[in-house]
Amino acid sequence: MKNKETLISRDLSKNQEYIETQYSHGVNMDFVSRPLTAATGRYHLFFYSTTVDTKQLSNHVISPILSSKKDVPLPALLAVPGIESLKDMKKVEDALSSGYVVIFQEGCREAYAAKIPDLKHRAIEKAENEKTVKGPKEAFTESLDTNISIIRKRLPSKDTIVENVEIGARPAMSVSLVYIRDLANPEVLDNIRKRLKSISVDTVCNIEILEQFIEERPLSLFPTMLYSERPDNASNYIAEGFIVLMMDNSSSCLIAPATIWSFFHSPEDRYLRVIFGNFSRFIRASAYLITLFVSAVYIAITNFHSQLIPIDLLLAIAASRERVPVPVFIEVLIMEFAFELIREAGIRIPSPLGPTIGIVGALILGQAAVQANIVSPIVVILVALSGLSSFTAANYSINHTLRISRFIFICASSLFGFMSLLGAIMIWTVYLVSIKSFGVSYMSPATPSTKSTHDTFFRILLKKERWRPVFLKPQDKDKQ
Amino acid sequence: MVLVKRPLKTRELLTMAWFMVGLKSADTTPAMLAGHTKNAVWLVPIASLLFLLPSFLLLMHLLKKHKNYNLVELIQHLLGSKIGTLLCLLIFLSAFIVIVLDLRNYVEQINYLYFPNASTTFIFTIFLLVCFITASKGLESIGSISWMFMPFILFTIIFILWLGQSNAVWNRIFPIFGSGLGVILTEGWNKSSLFLEMFLLTIGYQAFREPKFFRRGIYLGSGLAFFFITFFYLTYAIVFDYNTIENVAFPYQETTEIVTLGHFFTNVSTFFMVGWLICSFLRFSVFLYLLVWTFGAIFKVKPFESYLLPFCFLILTLGSIAPSFVTNELSVREVVLEYISPIFLLFPFLLWVMSLLRGRRER
Repeated sequence: MKNKETLISRDLSKNQEYIETQYSHGVNMDFVSRPLTAATGRYHLFFYSTTVDTKQLSNHVISPILSSKKDVPLPALLAVPGIESLKDMKKVEDALSSGYVVIFQEGCREAYAAKIPDLKHRAIEKAENEKTVKGPKEAFTESLDTNISIIRKRLPSKDTIVENVEIGARPAMSVSLVYIRDLANPEVLDNIRKRLKSISVDTVCNIEILEQFIEERPLSLFPTMLYSERPDNASNYIAEGFIVLMMDNSSSCLIAPATIWSFFHSPEDRYLRVIFGNFSRFIRASAYLITLFVSAVYIAITNFHSQLIPIDLLLAIAASRERVPVPVFIEVLIMEFAFELIREAGIRIPSPLGPTIGIVGALILGQAAVQANIVSPIVVILVALSGLSSFTAANYSINHTLRISRFIFICASSLFGFMSLLGAIMIWTVYLVSIKSFGVSYMSPATPSTKSTHDTFFRILLKKERWRPVFLKPQDKDKQ
Repeated sequence: MVLVKRPLKTRELLTMAWFMVGLKSADTTPAMLAGHTKNAVWLVPIASLLFLLPSFLLLMHLLKKHKNYNLVELIQHLLGSKIGTLLCLLIFLSAFIVIVLDLRNYVEQINYLYFPNASTTFIFTIFLLVCFITASKGLESIGSISWMFMPFILFTIIFILWLGQSNAVWNRIFPIFGSGLGVILTEGWNKSSLFLEMFLLTIGYQAFREPKFFRRGIYLGSGLAFFFITFFYLTYAIVFDYNTIENVAFPYQETTEIVTLGHFFTNVSTFFMVGWLICSFLRFSVFLYLLVWTFGAIFKVKPFESYLLPFCFLILTLGSIAPSFVTNELSVREVVLEYISPIFLLFPFLLWVMSLLRGRRER
């Protein structure tokens, strides 16, 4: 049953009073309540001056009303692209909050919302965090409409669906699920909807927060949704049967389900010719291995398995460590920590001070530390190598996984050399294969194997990619 | 939510079977066998295979014939619940004793060869902990991880076999039958329980996407395992020669000590230890899981994974009983293997007879 208070009255002044109290007119500096007297009767306009397009307001709303001679219904009179009739005050409030202009007419039981919002956002810019040399450059921006328009441009089809799900209460925000109707697995879609509906907090303002509410294992070391700022990446995934989540105020999207490979791949791998792309993947794979294991292996070898090192090299290492007072483990830990400090500072430091980081990093933590006999030069080389390699990560989320895992392996290898290191690797890997993202095994399609594009470590010729990733159980498996 | 149900296919079982059975090529087993057969040690797995093959094929045939059963269910179905359970218990106990002895054996190898100053119990605990965590993630994860590490282990195997050839003298395979053909056949019969993992794996007959994948996986995996075991033993025989091979306790590790990688890397044994250790972790994870699975199937406990930890404690305690490596290896392991071999060689025939009788009665 509708509450009597929320109904729109025929009496314009009553409506005016109601809205003005609700929106704290007079306190809220940008809330405009404007009466309008035309030849056809009395009108009243409400809007936020900061969220509507004032030019359109005067040209396409106010002037037609003032110049009209006959009593034509408002939808026929106003020359704006979207106009909606509102039956009760709840809808009026929603429309006002979304940045529309709401028009009341004397003696009329309904109000009209003219959709001329002008919400400010950044222009479309180049992708900052996922750079490519070959391939499109545009990135998502903080406006949902713009982002969806970019996706629509890439997937112009009636099957591309943008579905909204409301979450939160203060204010209710909508999450857009973008997918292809006859590809995406309905079970996964339902699961995502269910997870979205089960969010019970008041505010989820952007996709980065949303990710933490809907992922399966919030405490896990591995992200289970792919976070990307590239529209081309998103639309490629949509075309394969994945589902993309977007929200206003986020210049990125979430792609679900995610496998470990999606974090390892860069969209550029597909834009480059197959050999070039695979070469780049090979370099990246080596870099991942280096960043995870180089320091740990150094500790294991020097502490426990020194017989493995050829005698000349062993003497060189011993000589360089001669005057270093701390054990190798502590030495490596100090340097790794210092590197993490530089990295963290590099992100937070205001850009005019940026060059300082270079000087501090290179001179003080590198050269001076060696000269002061706190660390040996070989450790500086190793830490620099592992740090540099960690920057090759194609995705920011996996970058953290690699860095934290590195510390786990360093600690493990200091216990029992290769034995404890391999034990840690076993546990780490078995955890990796055991997790699932929205019902999809994290290592698919390598293991468990299914028909797919076989795009794991290396990719095959695009012409030979016959199947969509079947681990998603898409409605149409055949790609060709 | 799981999108792909029962995802395991041939490749996962292939690697599991291969590593489980095949790791015999790199532990103290060849030393144990060489004590009797001298340089003909490489013929023993072939002899064992000849003895095992009929009973194993028979078991696979029965599993194929009576669909919807795994090893334990099949035995209980054919032999009735009382005798069936008794036989299952016998199989389970054999496997349990073997895992206890083998684990101690491996821990001693690690301890003796790589960490001589550490305490055995400590290494035992770490080793078991890793196996426990791996096993507790379930069959799918163990299968997947086996497949993931396969390239690395294959690389290690091929590399060591290839490097080993530089120190090999092929004429050392003579006398071809070592201490004599009779000894080889006796050893092959007596030690055929070395390969009891093949039988134990059939507990997972229903766990794969299709039984077809299981059959393919276990045949290929065991085939590969036997091939590499034979090849490794042959390599040991031609690297160490007739008399020396008896005295080499750890042929794999000794071989890795001998080989060099050019003039720069002269001591690469640690490199080969990495592949070996990964394989050991995998083998015992699978073994532990299968053991507890068998236990769970016999006593109808679900989910049986919660019994992994108690079993680990039991294995740790029992494994620490043997006062030394030598007692464990020479007195206990060899005798136990000889005692349990007939069980595995004969029980499929018993099942087969019962299946025939049952079929006749139904007709």
